[in-house]
Amino acid sequence: MTRDEMERELSAALRAKADVHRAPESLRADILAALPEDEAAAPPRWRFWLAQGTALASVALLTWAVTFAVLRPNEDERHAEDVLAAHVRATLGKHLIDVASSDQHTVKPWLSARLPYSPPVEDLSAQGYELAGARLDRAGGRPIAVLVYKRRLHVIDAYVWPAHEHVGRVDFSRDGFQLVRFQADGWAYWLVSDLNRNELDDFERLVAQKN
Amino acid sequence: MPHLDAAYNLARWLTRNDHDARDVVQEAALRAYRFLDGLRGEPKPWFLALVRNACMSWLKANRPAELAGADADAAPEPADPETPETLAFRALDRRMLNEALAALPAPFREALVLRELEDLAYKDVARITGAPIGTVMSRLSRARRLLADSLRAIARASDPKVHE
Repeated sequence: MTRDEMERELSAALRAKADVHRAPESLRADILAALPEDEAAAPPRWRFWLAQGTALASVALLTWAVTFAVLRPNEDERHAEDVLAAHVRATLGKHLIDVASSDQHTVKPWLSARLPYSPPVEDLSAQGYELAGARLDRAGGRPIAVLVYKRRLHVIDAYVWPAHEHVGRVDFSRDGFQLVRFQADGWAYWLVSDLNRNELDDFERLVAQKN
Repeated sequence: MPHLDAAYNLARWLTRNDHDARDVVQEAALRAYRFLDGLRGEPKPWFLALVRNACMSWLKANRPAELAGADADAAPEPADPETPETLAFRALDRRMLNEALAALPAPFREALVLRELEDLAYKDVARITGAPIGTVMSRLSRARRLLADSLRAIARASDPKVHE
């Protein structure tokens, strides 16, 4: 057996047989409980997001000033910061989904019961983008619906709210995340994902067509 | 918390016990929340690097012998066995494999855990361990050879006929 063969064999043996230790559920609970007071996930949830968003946004504002120079000031900036900060926080683990369902008839009423609007919800499983559920988040100073889609191991967050005025399409990438803002049929969207740009563009087209 | 499992696995293999792995991961997770605005690049390697550093601090405080003089990459190359390999690695006993992995020096152990058990890319292993990518690759190769040596030794000890 050559050295290379030996290494391949060992690699396969490790992958198949070595112990993979998974975090105990009680550890998750302990971590959530140990978060400082104002960060504990006390209802209403968006108070938590607001507190988090403020600290994060103050640093983000400086870092992203250049990026956002092309955007409309104020509201857009605040939106984009909130959206990216909330997405990172959610994927890092705080909570990604409030209502887990691929059924639009479950997700849509859940959202409309908690928001002053009822966003369009489509399962795009047939096109390879599975609706995983939705959560409530806060961006631009108000509660906002986030539809959570999955493609392979990637998560796509679609922030959606009624468009009050027409704003142009913007896309950019930041720290390995792709962001795009667009409007379709009276609805404004921010999409955030670590998916590649081509697939996110594809997803954007599907969402826009469904509206 | 999607990356918590990977974090725990790494900490469990580095501290080698459940209790300390818990403490280390919890501390790293709280740091992650506190310093989330320091996030650069993808979240998973970023978080695992925090966990790894917390493990190293723990080792320094509690198992200094494991890190003392552990200039792993400068150690002499292990010689290749002169006889052809007769140990069937695929048929390895699970317990033996785990023991041998746990006995590796920390730098080799963490490289194998991240690469083989967590299936991370070389560049992510490099980022988490703070080593250049070339060092990661040579460390992995040496880690597998050290593991093979140690498995041969365990096999010989448990059944002297196998390799004589």
